[in-house]
Amino acid sequence: MIAGRRMIRVAVAVLATAAGLALLAAASAVSLPWHGEDAAAIRLSWSARPERIEVCRALSNAEVEALNEHMRQRVQCDGRAATYALRVRVNGVLLGDEVVRGGGLRHDRPLHLLQTYAVSPGVRRVQLEFSRRERTGGDAGTGASAAAAEADTGIFAGRAARETSERGRRTRAAVPPLMTLDTALAFAPQQVILVTFDPDGRRLVVRTGAAPRRAP
Amino acid sequence: MTRLRRPRIARRALATLDAVANRLYGWRWNPLYQSGTVAVVLLLVLLGTGLYLVLVYRLGAPFASMARIDQDVWLGRWMRSLHRYASDAFIIAAVIHGWRMLAQRRSWGPRTLAWVSGGALLAAGLVEAWTGFVMVWDSFGERLAREGARLFDALPLFSEPLSRIFAGEDAVPGAFFFVNLFVHIGLPLGFGVGLWLHVSRLARPTLLPPRVLSWALVAAFTIAAIVWPAALGDAADPLRLAADTPINLPSAWWLPWSEQLAPLAVFGLVAAVCVSFLLVPVLTARVRTGPLAASVVDSRLCTGCNQCPQDCPWQAITMVARTDDRPTLVARVDAALCVSCGICAGSCAPMGVGPPGHNGRDQMDTFRSFTLPALRVSTVGRCVVYCCTEAPASHRAALRARGALVREVPCAGNLHSSVVELAIRSGAPGVLVFACPPRDCAGREGPRWLGERLFNDREAELQPRVDRRRARVGTMAAGDLSGTLACFDRFAQDVAALSPVLPAADLDLERECVAVTDAGAGE
Repeated sequence: MIAGRRMIRVAVAVLATAAGLALLAAASAVSLPWHGEDAAAIRLSWSARPERIEVCRALSNAEVEALNEHMRQRVQCDGRAATYALRVRVNGVLLGDEVVRGGGLRHDRPLHLLQTYAVSPGVRRVQLEFSRRERTGGDAGTGASAAAAEADTGIFAGRAARETSERGRRTRAAVPPLMTLDTALAFAPQQVILVTFDPDGRRLVVRTGAAPRRAP
Repeated sequence: MTRLRRPRIARRALATLDAVANRLYGWRWNPLYQSGTVAVVLLLVLLGTGLYLVLVYRLGAPFASMARIDQDVWLGRWMRSLHRYASDAFIIAAVIHGWRMLAQRRSWGPRTLAWVSGGALLAAGLVEAWTGFVMVWDSFGERLAREGARLFDALPLFSEPLSRIFAGEDAVPGAFFFVNLFVHIGLPLGFGVGLWLHVSRLARPTLLPPRVLSWALVAAFTIAAIVWPAALGDAADPLRLAADTPINLPSAWWLPWSEQLAPLAVFGLVAAVCVSFLLVPVLTARVRTGPLAASVVDSRLCTGCNQCPQDCPWQAITMVARTDDRPTLVARVDAALCVSCGICAGSCAPMGVGPPGHNGRDQMDTFRSFTLPALRVSTVGRCVVYCCTEAPASHRAALRARGALVREVPCAGNLHSSVVELAIRSGAPGVLVFACPPRDCAGREGPRWLGERLFNDREAELQPRVDRRRARVGTMAAGDLSGTLACFDRFAQDVAALSPVLPAADLDLERECVAVTDAGAGE
């Protein structure tokens, strides 16, 4: 009788343990809605250097002489990083309208854009405009010609050319003053279509497939 | 400030849960009583299974390596499942452990360090789980990673938003998984330090449950891992919006709420929870008077025997040089470390130490004032039953209904053996002491030292002149009323079979003790 009762107790304990473990296993992977069945999105993601808007002028000989030797530059530029307006329309409906600035406290670091807009699945006309807000010229500022006009001799030998070259490189590395995209995209359910900046082609490109592996 | 003097709801809920577990497993194997040590066993399981997983994990192809592990039904699948279930159970065990400490008012004073370090260990466990799930890089891992990145992006920490890692522009870099792996492996090293801090105030910390229970736990979780292998979600795909994901409730219960809130609100909530947690020792602190006053030493009675420092579970007593001319040391209690369990009172033969009102002499006085008269007016011999103040009220009432003279002590280990002797020599047929289940003793070692003192001649031992058959130590566990009553009935039956006790005349155990001490003091 006592043995039988003990057996029942053991059986109940084993069953309770099994139930507890089954509950733990069930709680370990509870299905939770995330985006829903009919979600689709367009994602904008890129990093690029903002243009530098500069006003350059050639220093006079007296001004150059006043500088320490290691700080002498024939052309002196002052400026700031450009800011950009981003506008996104899907089927003519404005989804996003915002100002994009470079990183850092002075906004002179590379700008990083990451925006995701929900859209309904189907074919959608996507219009995207990323434009510089400042109307003035960019890196190839007014000082470039002035610098070229200066005598390229003495301790400045080849310096002006190098500075011009550097400015050109910076301009090419920066995001263009205007980039647009106007295309029809077919959004499948649960699909994210990525729009990113192609630094080689200096334009916006659309990517729908898996991301390529980043080179080590 | 409102103090949480009686966390009654937590206490009642815990008592109910304890009662259910006691009925299922019996108090010896009740895992709820061992929640802290169970967490340590699970931590060891996590280390063992984690070591295997880290060997087969590939940073360059995280999901593929996990999928390959999952396809290995002979080893990989159940090892991964065991790792996951152990991590879930670790969180649950740690929460139950904290809950128990809160409900039993063991979260303040000298226990503050254990409370705070325990909270830090639980938080580290949650972070550990987070990084572990991200490493799998299935849809749930991606969801956790995205949420983490969203939260961190609100802080001015990174020049480039972390979320861009998951934009789909490029494949997620191996460096991201390396950082996860680094944290996932590095944190357990911190667990060792945290655990050391957690138990550093204890004289004899118990780190593991009984061996049988440990292996039973490992076996049960292994069987569960084989029978119900943990699900692996779909591979993470930054360019796909998953309709749903399998989420792990024990470790990521916060995720659905976090996703709905702004990052700063989440940080605010986390900060509020942390501050609340840190305030618990303040809010639950009680005024240290009456039964909660720290033990004191009567230096006139202390013989310098060094027993109370050995018995104190909290390392609150040290032996120091005397200020008088006696050649012995004298015990000194550090009130900041004393939890007023009173175990020292039971260890002192001359009854010179203990919480005010609860040292051996006080217990004898109480016995004479309240128990002895009741014993004398009784026409039939009534057994004296001592219970811990934490004992369930229903059990005490049931014992009274059976004719027992039920008395309470702060902890079974507080009861001085001389009180047992006094009761028996005063005519009580027997003294039954109901202790809490050993792993649920608020004084940690009360049942252990009581048994040693009554039956194994540990200081202050029950004198040989007392018939040991008339004293017994039982266990009173919530939900096990039948066990309590059966124990009492057996004891009452056993003592009834013995010849009746004749009350001793001119019984003064204190005077005997004082005489010895005074003789020593006079030397």
